[in-house]
Amino acid sequence: MFLQKNLILTRTEPGGQGGYQFLYKIGQYGVSLGSKPQEEIQQIHWEADVIRYTSETPLQYEVCHTTELASKTLRFLNDSTLNEFLEKAFNYFNELEALEKMLPGE
Amino acid sequence: MSNAVAKPKDWVPKGDLQKEISAEKMLLELPRELLFITGSEAAREAIKRANIDCAISYPITPQSETMQQAGYLYDEGYIKEYYRAEEEIGVMSATAGASRAGVRALTATSGPGLMRGMEAISSWPGARVTPVLLDMCRVINTPLAIQPDNIEISFLLNTGMIMLHAENQQDFFDYTLAACEVTEHVDVTLPAMVSVDGFFVTHARGPVSIPSDEYKLNRRDGWRSAVPAMDNENPPARISRDAPIQKSNFISYHMHASWQQEVFAALERSGKYFEKLLKGRIEIINPEAEDFIICSGSAVSQAREAVRQEGENGRVVGLVKVKTLRPFPTTSIVNALKNAKRILIPEFNQAGWMHKEVCSVLYGKCKANIVDGPRVFGGMTMPTEMVIEWLAKARKDFP
Repeated sequence: MFLQKNLILTRTEPGGQGGYQFLYKIGQYGVSLGSKPQEEIQQIHWEADVIRYTSETPLQYEVCHTTELASKTLRFLNDSTLNEFLEKAFNYFNELEALEKMLPGE
Repeated sequence: MSNAVAKPKDWVPKGDLQKEISAEKMLLELPRELLFITGSEAAREAIKRANIDCAISYPITPQSETMQQAGYLYDEGYIKEYYRAEEEIGVMSATAGASRAGVRALTATSGPGLMRGMEAISSWPGARVTPVLLDMCRVINTPLAIQPDNIEISFLLNTGMIMLHAENQQDFFDYTLAACEVTEHVDVTLPAMVSVDGFFVTHARGPVSIPSDEYKLNRRDGWRSAVPAMDNENPPARISRDAPIQKSNFISYHMHASWQQEVFAALERSGKYFEKLLKGRIEIINPEAEDFIICSGSAVSQAREAVRQEGENGRVVGLVKVKTLRPFPTTSIVNALKNAKRILIPEFNQAGWMHKEVCSVLYGKCKANIVDGPRVFGGMTMPTEMVIEWLAKARKDFP
């Protein structure tokens, strides 16, 4: 089973393709995780994007391919490799948030 | 010559190690574990716990994986009898035969397979047999496709069978187990179909919380039934339920009418059991809303997200999810929608059967403007924004 901590929203894939989208959030950053239907069960995989939230209400985000974590949409074939990435991402976001707090306020 | 490898002499069917419990305990009381599995896998987990005596299969996309999984369950000893029939008329006839003999029978099909088996299926309720049919909906009309489309449901609405429509993988698990027990209550004794939108649910993973597989439903007692099970050791020369009916005379017309009235009365009686096991036959979100969406199946998931997004923007939209299509939860729907001003009915089919159903039950009981859509079919997708656009248009058209 994939990690449930920091998960703020579980919803159907909004584009209507079937499957689910899961949104994680730590500070302003997070991960969008998707799993869509495939013709063969072994083809089902995770797609993960690092995202940056632009608004909390309504919940809006933009895909962020400029962090050290990922420069593109990542694919994971099983929960254990996905969870490794999520743990790494959570630590990264926590550090990022701590660093951003050290910056002088505008 | 069969290539099947014989089981060792000390082999114990895994089903024999399971403890029998009621559906109420299985669905409402046991602790659950959260998994992320496909709809087909959710069906397998339900079948594993359903104490199925006989499962009969015939492959068709997108159902095939489920009955393939049932084959594995047979090999492990969770299902007592399993075979692949010659085609769907054979499947549906044999499934009825198994049920008529007093055992718990299950099969599954999709779209064109359902249509092929239709003659046999439509005889099930009147025969008062109790099989459970899992239906993974797909396109049946030309141009043919294997994509999601649930027009096939409309063909069975007036057969007299119990019909449930699952929104997602979780529902497919829960509804299947509920159906296996409710069909067999003495005051019901009817078949059930549990439908789900193919691919969107069957071939996608979703969160499903399930109880331990140490448990299975209580076995069917074939003699505890509105009509007696057939003794296959001493089969009648002719099945006594149909002989007088098939004569064309005054008595036969009356018999047919009263028999069918009883079938549909039994269907209504099944409602109270689903009310309990499914925690209501409808789900309502934002009951105070003026704008409502009412739907079933995977359209509910799209509507659910539309309701959430509208809420973020300060607009309260209500949602009514219909769980049991038959018996149709008429009173609950009328009560839920009596103060609505605008009602949207999103559907994944060309026919708009849910629109017709809702219009017929609300006629004269609700002043809302009922919008016939949005509707997609043939495998088209229904993005959340489409539902939101239709809501905006409804507000503009019916201020």
